[in-house]
Amino acid sequence: MIDISALLDEIKASPYREIVIATPHTGLVSFAGLKTGDKVLGPQGQWKEKPGTQIATLERERNPKPICAPEKGEISVLHSELEGRFVEAGTPLAVLRHMLTREEVQRAILQKALHLFRAPERAKYYFTPEVDKKIRASDAHSVAVRDGMELLIMSRMKREVPLHYTGPDGVIYAVYFKYNENMDTGAPLIGVCPQNQLPAIQDVIMRVQTEWREKE
Amino acid sequence: MGYAGGKGLNKAQDSKRKAARSAAAEITLSDHKVLVANRGEIAMRIMQACRKLGVAFTAIYTAEDAASGHVRLAREEGGEKSLFRVSSYHDANELMAVADEAGCTAVHPGYGFFAEDFRFARRVAKRDRKLIFIGPSWKIIRELGDKINTKRLARSLGVPTVPGSDRPIYDEMEAERIAKSVFEFQEQQGIQRPLVLVKASAGGGGMGIEEVYDPDQFRSVYRRIRNYAMRQFKDEGVLIEQRITDFNHLEVQIVSDRSGTNPVHFGTRNCSIQSTGLQKRIEVAPGFAPDELEYTFNAGRVLTDIVDYSLAMARKVGYDNVGTWEWIVTRKGEPFLMEVNTRIQVENGVSARISHVHGKPGVDLIAEQVRIGLGQPLGYSQADIATEGVGMEYRIIAEDPDNNFTPWVGRIERFQWKDQPWLTMLTHVPRDEAYEIPTEFDPNLALAIIWGKDLDEVKARGLDFLNNLRLEGRNGAGEPLKSNVEFLKANTGRILLF
Repeated sequence: MIDISALLDEIKASPYREIVIATPHTGLVSFAGLKTGDKVLGPQGQWKEKPGTQIATLERERNPKPICAPEKGEISVLHSELEGRFVEAGTPLAVLRHMLTREEVQRAILQKALHLFRAPERAKYYFTPEVDKKIRASDAHSVAVRDGMELLIMSRMKREVPLHYTGPDGVIYAVYFKYNENMDTGAPLIGVCPQNQLPAIQDVIMRVQTEWREKE
Repeated sequence: MGYAGGKGLNKAQDSKRKAARSAAAEITLSDHKVLVANRGEIAMRIMQACRKLGVAFTAIYTAEDAASGHVRLAREEGGEKSLFRVSSYHDANELMAVADEAGCTAVHPGYGFFAEDFRFARRVAKRDRKLIFIGPSWKIIRELGDKINTKRLARSLGVPTVPGSDRPIYDEMEAERIAKSVFEFQEQQGIQRPLVLVKASAGGGGMGIEEVYDPDQFRSVYRRIRNYAMRQFKDEGVLIEQRITDFNHLEVQIVSDRSGTNPVHFGTRNCSIQSTGLQKRIEVAPGFAPDELEYTFNAGRVLTDIVDYSLAMARKVGYDNVGTWEWIVTRKGEPFLMEVNTRIQVENGVSARISHVHGKPGVDLIAEQVRIGLGQPLGYSQADIATEGVGMEYRIIAEDPDNNFTPWVGRIERFQWKDQPWLTMLTHVPRDEAYEIPTEFDPNLALAIIWGKDLDEVKARGLDFLNNLRLEGRNGAGEPLKSNVEFLKANTGRILLF
């Protein structure tokens, strides 16, 4: 198994990541009056149904779109020179310094503990309809995978091919791809936990829960 | 081999045409700015056409396309506000926002994306800040984009069409019923191996099509196509048709100005050499060579017929831009109308290459499309158009013809060819630096258009070009590039043969 203490120490040395908030599409920018150093919140509520602190508004074809903080953090850069300007898609508006949450640390450590099934090619990935149905009905943990099973559909240049899972038998413990998003070659698609290692994985989670103190 | 198919216009049409012409004479092209709402090779051709006409333009690109030649061309040749990065070529809001910001007066959709989307064309024409859609008017796109409508219109004019379902099918029971009847119909016709084609109604370009030989297999194929169509096109509609296997794919290039009364044709093309996924790979103009090859039917007559049928339909709907009537011609020499493409096509360049207007070569159909799209009169009639020689286009694609034409993805490291007076190369792949093929789009690398005075010369020049082409690259795993160059070589010998 992996050395959890060492991993935790490594993360503690640099416990934040920088999030660049960029425009999702073109439009006219107006900022929401924040300044560098301000604290912002990510989505809130039981189902994350309340959006994060509004950073700016992007107006396109008379539709104002609020641009909100995706995570909790502190504004380290604000491109206020863009106020009132028409910008292209992908233009950075602000940079957020985000302290890692317990869940993120857990996710990072799990990625090292689970068996990762990786993208063989840069492509979009979908679960096969049967697997997709199961995941929707309960959750990913309910799907048992075995070597050679037809698990995913790989879609490239509008052409779709079935993708067979290779690796140890187990349950899907984590899903790393999003619907309609391109995954680079080698990017993990799913994390699989063999049945007999489930207790060990639960242990990892326990340790992160107890040892990681979230900073404000 | 000129073709004089123009019929005399009646008086009512003539006066309408004159009125349109006097209004259109006011059009100053340099007052316009065109949003080039496409990518790659076609975006480059549109920009070059605009430059030729003295029309300003604005190009767009997405993050994946930052290294594409069309981005470089826009940077080098565009004026103020001539290039914008957008989130997607598929997002109409992006296009409209950029058009307004850049001060565009018109939108050229190219091919693919919004080219045949009547809702987009309508929005462009009807929004508060109106723009000109460079293509047929939205009503015509709606009328001819709907396959059942096209079929009905064709039948009303006595134009022959392909047997099969005449609307998208959403119901499995109904789909099975139609498939059964199409199988039975073919058995009655004495067809040895009956075959049903299942295709996504909203698809196109050979995507989402499968063949079914065995009626018992139909249901699973139907479901697969339906699910595919839902994922890719957000529409479950499926078409079920008889598939005619032994045929040549021909098309007729129509051009007509905004008056909609005086369509002309720029001859026929033969696009029969295709991938297994039914995508075109070699296109030749004219569509047959009755003077040089033997056919089991009267090939000259077929060409005349499909041109006349196409023009009759264009006149009937008041067609008012460039468009292509696609035909299949069976071994017996029977033509069936397949569909109308209400847009400029990839292969328009082969027809342009062999055409002369008023005795002058160097026709640019995209420039013609922009010019008449902005409202200028066509300025010539069928009698002013002639053709000379044979044009052939190779689509050079990174794909593996030995493995079902699977797209190849990787990095192009060398792409070189010998320039020739008879060769036109259209490509967005840079010649002087490596190029990573984006995975979001088809891996089309280039179009090579070759001209020869006759069939033998064009074939010899084609092979000469392919033999001198250097195309090399590697993918992430270090494997060498796969391309269809050998496939093109192997098929050059059989162009225009039935």
